[in-house]
Amino acid sequence: MIRYLLNRLLWMVPLLVGISLISFFIMHLAPGDITATEASFDPKASEESRQKLRELYNLDKPVIVQYGLWLKRMATLDFGTSFASHQRPVFWQTTDEQGNVRKGMIQQALPVTLLINVLSLVLIIAVALPLGVISALTRNRAPDRAITFFVFIGFAIPGFWLALMLMYWTGVANNWLPISGLHSIGYENMGAIAQIFDTLKHLVLPVFISGLSGLAGISLFVRNGMLDVLHQDYITTARAKGLSENTVVYGHALRNALLPLITIFGLSIPGLIGGSVIAESIFAIPGMGKLFYDAVLMRDFPVIMGILTIGAALTLIGNLLADLAYAWADPRVRRGVMQ
Amino acid sequence: MRRALSNPMAFGGFLIIAVIMMLALAAPLIAPFDPEAIDVKSILLPPSSTHWMGTDGLGRDVFSRMLFGARVSLMVGIVAVGIATLIGIVLGSISGYYRGWVDVFIMRLVDVMLSIPTFFLILAVIAFLTPSIWNIMIVIGLTSWMGVTRLVRAEFLSLRNREFVMASETLGARDGRLIFRHLLPNSLTPIIVSSVLGVASAVLVESGLSFLGLGVQAPQSSWGNILTDGKEYIEFAWWLSLFPGLAILITVLGYNLLGEGLRDALDPRSSN
Amino acid sequence: MSFTRLLCLTLLTLLAGCGEPQQDPNVDYDQVYPAVDGGNMINAMTGEPSGLIPMIAGESAASAIASNIFNSLLKYDKNLELEGELAESWTISPDHRTITFKLKPDMKWADGQPLTSADVLFTWKLVTDENTRTPYGSDYKLVIKAETPDTRTFRVSYQEPYAPALDTWAGLQILPKHLLEGQDINTTAFARNPVGSHYYKLEQWRNGERISLIRNPLATQGEARIERLVSRFIPDAASQFLELMADNIDTMNLNPIQYARIFPSRPDLTQKIGLYKELGNSYTYLGFNLKRKPFDDIRIRQAINYAINKQELIDGVLLGLGEPVSSPYKPGTRWTNPELQPYPYDAQKAIALLKEAGYADHDGDGILDKDGKPLTFEMLTNQNKQREMSAVLIQRRLKEIGIDARIRVLEWASFIGRFIKTGEFDAVVLGWSLSLDPDQYSIWHSSQQAPGQFNFIGYNNPQVDRLLEQGRLELDIEKRTKIYHEFARLLLEDSPIVYLYAGYGLPAIHKRIKGIDDPAPPAGIGHNSHEWYIPQPLRRLEISAQ
Repeated sequence: MIRYLLNRLLWMVPLLVGISLISFFIMHLAPGDITATEASFDPKASEESRQKLRELYNLDKPVIVQYGLWLKRMATLDFGTSFASHQRPVFWQTTDEQGNVRKGMIQQALPVTLLINVLSLVLIIAVALPLGVISALTRNRAPDRAITFFVFIGFAIPGFWLALMLMYWTGVANNWLPISGLHSIGYENMGAIAQIFDTLKHLVLPVFISGLSGLAGISLFVRNGMLDVLHQDYITTARAKGLSENTVVYGHALRNALLPLITIFGLSIPGLIGGSVIAESIFAIPGMGKLFYDAVLMRDFPVIMGILTIGAALTLIGNLLADLAYAWADPRVRRGVMQ
Repeated sequence: MRRALSNPMAFGGFLIIAVIMMLALAAPLIAPFDPEAIDVKSILLPPSSTHWMGTDGLGRDVFSRMLFGARVSLMVGIVAVGIATLIGIVLGSISGYYRGWVDVFIMRLVDVMLSIPTFFLILAVIAFLTPSIWNIMIVIGLTSWMGVTRLVRAEFLSLRNREFVMASETLGARDGRLIFRHLLPNSLTPIIVSSVLGVASAVLVESGLSFLGLGVQAPQSSWGNILTDGKEYIEFAWWLSLFPGLAILITVLGYNLLGEGLRDALDPRSSN
Repeated sequence: MSFTRLLCLTLLTLLAGCGEPQQDPNVDYDQVYPAVDGGNMINAMTGEPSGLIPMIAGESAASAIASNIFNSLLKYDKNLELEGELAESWTISPDHRTITFKLKPDMKWADGQPLTSADVLFTWKLVTDENTRTPYGSDYKLVIKAETPDTRTFRVSYQEPYAPALDTWAGLQILPKHLLEGQDINTTAFARNPVGSHYYKLEQWRNGERISLIRNPLATQGEARIERLVSRFIPDAASQFLELMADNIDTMNLNPIQYARIFPSRPDLTQKIGLYKELGNSYTYLGFNLKRKPFDDIRIRQAINYAINKQELIDGVLLGLGEPVSSPYKPGTRWTNPELQPYPYDAQKAIALLKEAGYADHDGDGILDKDGKPLTFEMLTNQNKQREMSAVLIQRRLKEIGIDARIRVLEWASFIGRFIKTGEFDAVVLGWSLSLDPDQYSIWHSSQQAPGQFNFIGYNNPQVDRLLEQGRLELDIEKRTKIYHEFARLLLEDSPIVYLYAGYGLPAIHKRIKGIDDPAPPAGIGHNSHEWYIPQPLRRLEISAQ
C-alpha cells in the first residue's frame, strides 16, 4: 500500500509541472505586453501596476528564467498580492509589523466553494445511487422511463435559467427559501442551531443547481453499470446457486457497479469547481468561482494564476484520494495487478 | 446505421436534431422578419400571430432571432467538437499506436488538462482574447479533446491485439495503412458517441458564457444571449427566456438522446 | 419527473416550516406615519468595495458607502449649490489665490476624538503624497501651501487662481489623523475598519456578502433617523430584481423596461414599492477617433450627427426616460447653454454634407465611397445593454445614408486596455459623467492625449484649449458661465462626439421608507436620506440585536 501511495505521489510531479506550464502560458496569452491590459484609466496608476507586474513575473528576464521563477513561487505557494487597490494577499493571510492580519482571498473563498461542492457530492450520492439502481432493476418499465426522462432533462437544461425560475418560484411567488446570499441579515444574533439552519436554507438552491448535471450523469452511470454487471457470468452463477434476488443485486452487483464511481467522483471535481462561476454569481455567493470571474474581468493576474493553480492542486488531491479509495476497495489494484 | 436508428432513443434524438438543423439552415427563408431589424414601437410584445415568439427589448422579432441564433449555437457546438475530435483522434492514435514514451507524454498531458477546471480556463482565455464566435469555438475545442484521446487510445490498444490487425501487420502493412484502414474505422463507434455528447455540452457552455457576458456578442444572436437578455424579465416577458431556454434544452436533449441511443445500439455488450 | 417534484416538495416543506413569519400583506403603505428613529434599510450593489478609503479604492461601490461614513469640507445642497459640511464658512482672498476654511466647532470622530484642522491638513498631505496610490491627486497638487493657523482654520494657497478649487474640496473626504498617522495608506487595515464623522459608522463587513453601517451618535451633521444601512453584494441584476420583488431589499436602480413596463402592469409591486425619477448624472455619446480618416473631416462628423435620430434613441433605448443633450452638463443647470439645440435628424442634409466631402456611391453597392474606398467604420462599445442598443439603432440609421458601421462589443478591460489606450479604434459608444464643476480640461484639452488620459479621441481645437484654460482661472461666476457656454457651442459645432442622450436615474424605493422628496431635486433622490425614516408598523420582522 505504501509503495502504491509513493508511486502515485511521484506521478503527481510531472502533472504539477504541466499545470504550471499551462497557467504560465495563459498569462502570456493576453495579446501584446500583458502589463498593458488592465482595466483602469489612470495613467499613473497604470504605470505603477505595470511596474509591479514586471517585477512580479520578472518580465525583463528571458522566458525560461521567468518560468523557473514562476515555478519557484508556485512551489512555495507564494502568489503575491492582488492588483486590486486593496492589495490583499492572494492565497493566505499575512501579518504586518503592527500585527494587523490581512486574510488571503483564496483563503476566504475556498471554504465556501468546498462546502457547496461537498454538499453537492452528498446530494449526488444520496439521490443518484437509488435512482440508478431503481432504473436498472425496472429496465424499460415505467420507473426506468421516468427516471431516464428526468436524467436527460437534468443534463439538458441551462443551469442559470433553471436557477432563476426556482428563485422566482421558491423565493418570490412563495416564501419558502431565501433568494440569494449565504446568511440572513440577522445571522449574527441567531443561536448556533438557527445559524446552521439559516446557512443550509441559503444553500439549498445553489447546491441543487451545481449538483444537477452531476446528479443526472451519475444516475445514468449507475444504471448502465448495474445493467452491465447484471449480465456478467458470476451474477448468473449466483442466481443459479439459488441466492435470493436481494443478495444478488445488493451483495454482488451493486458493489461491483459502484467501484468505477469512485474514479468518476475524482474526475468530477474540476467540473464542479469550474461550474461554480455561474451558480456563485447568480446566487451572490463569495466563493472561488465569483473570485475568479471578477479577477478575469479586472485582469488581476496574481489572483487568476493563484486560483488556476490551487484549483488544479485540489483536483490532484481529489484524484489521489479517489485512487486510494479505489485501491482500498479493490485489492487487485493495491497489488499492482491492474497497473 | 439502420441498427443505430432502430433504437427509439437514437431515433428520437436524430429527429430532433434534424428538424432543428433544417430550421437553422432555412432561417433566411422562414424568418418572418430581419433578426436585427429594430422597431421601437413594438418593444416587448407578447407572442401573437405576427410575432410568434413575441418581441425583445428592441422590438426585434424573437422567432427570427431564434432561427438565426440556432445557426450560431449549433455552429459553436459542432465546430468546437470537430476541433476537439480531430485533436483527440490524432493524439489518441499516436498514443495508442506507437505507445512508449510518446504515449506516456500524451497521457500525462491529458491528465494535466483534466485536472484544471476547464470552465476557468475557457473563461480566462476568452476574456483575454476577446469573445468572438471563432475564439469561443476554438477555445471550447482546445479544452475538450481529452475524452476522445483516451477513447481512441483505448480502442487502438485493444484492437492491436486482434487477429486481423496482427495479420496485416505481419504482412508488412505500413503504419498509415494500418491506422486508417484498420484501426480507425473500427474505433469509430465510441468516437461518434462521444462527439455527439460533446456537442450537447458545448451548446450549454456557450449559454453559460453568454450569461457571464463572454459569449457571442451582440448584435449577433445566439440562443445563449437571447436567454441572457430575457433573464431580468423572467416572469414578466416570459417569452424572452422561455423559448431560448426550451430551444437549448430540446437541442441538448436531442444530442444526448442520439448519443446515448447510439451507444446502446452499437455497443456490442448491450446488443443482446 | 414525479420524483423530482416529490424531492423538491419534501425539501421545501422541511425548510419552509421554519421560515420567518412574513409581514401582513394588507399593510397600508400609503398611510401617514410620524417620523421615528430606528429600522434597517437594505440596498443591493453589484460589486464589493475593495476598501472604504475612497481616494484609494476608487470604484463607485466604495464611494457610495464611504459617503455615509466620511465628511468633506464642503458639499452640494439639493439645488447643487456649494455649502459648508465640516466647514462653517469659507473666504476667498481678493487675489483669488487663497481659500480659508473655518471649521464648525466641537466636532468629533466616531471614536470620540476631536476632529480638527490638523485632520484636514493630514488628508491633504496624504492625497498629494507620491507614495499614495490615488488617481485623484492632481487637483490637490496645485495647492502650493496648506496651513492650519488654529484648530478650526485651514488655509490653502494656489500658484494662480483655480476656479474648480471649491469643487475639489467638496470631493475630498477627510480622514482621521490619529488613526492613520504612520500607517501605509495603501494597505492599512483602516480601509476595512474605517472611523469617520458622518451619519453612519461601520458595524460589520461580511466579506463578499454585505456591509452594514450603524448610526453614528457623534455625527458632525446631526443624527440620521434610520438605525442601520445594509448594502448587500448581489452581482446579477436579475437576482437583485427578484430580491426587490420578494421584499428582501428596499432600494434598487431600475432599468427603463422595469420602470416603464413591468411596474405599471404589476399592482402588487406598485402597492409596496415607490418609483422615482432623478436627473441622470451621465450622458451617452458616439465619439470619433479624430486622428483617423475620415473623422478628421468635420463634414463627415456633422453628417453622422444629422443622420442619427436622438429622439428615436431616447424612445427606443430609454423608453422615453431621458433627455437630449447639447452641452456636456446636466440639463437645466447653470452651465448648460440654453441656446444650443441638438443636431436635428435630417438625412438629406447628412447626404449633402457627405457629397460635399466627396463621398458618393460610385460602385453601386449601396455604400458610399471616395477614391475607391468605402465609407465604413467600426463602433466599439462595452457590455452595457443601453450602449449596445444605441449602437444598433445608429447602425441602422447610418446604413440608410450609405455608411457601413459595424458594431463590436467588448468587455471593459479589453476595451480600455487594448483599444482606448492604444488608440486602435474608429469610433466608440461610451458615456461621460456630468460633473458639477464645468471644468472639463482633462477630457477636451489637446494636452490630455497620452495613453491612459481622457482625451483619447484626440480632440485638438486651439480655441477650445484657450477657453478651457481661461475657465480654470476665472472665479467670477457670470464670466465663467459665459466661457463655458461658448465652449459648449464650439464643441457642438465641431461635433467631435455625437451627444446621444442623458438617461434619468430610476430608483425604486420600498414604501416603508418615508420622508423622501418627490419629485427629486437636482441633487437627486438621496440628498436627504438622513431624514428618511421607517415607521414601526412597516418594519421587517428583525432579529433584535440583544
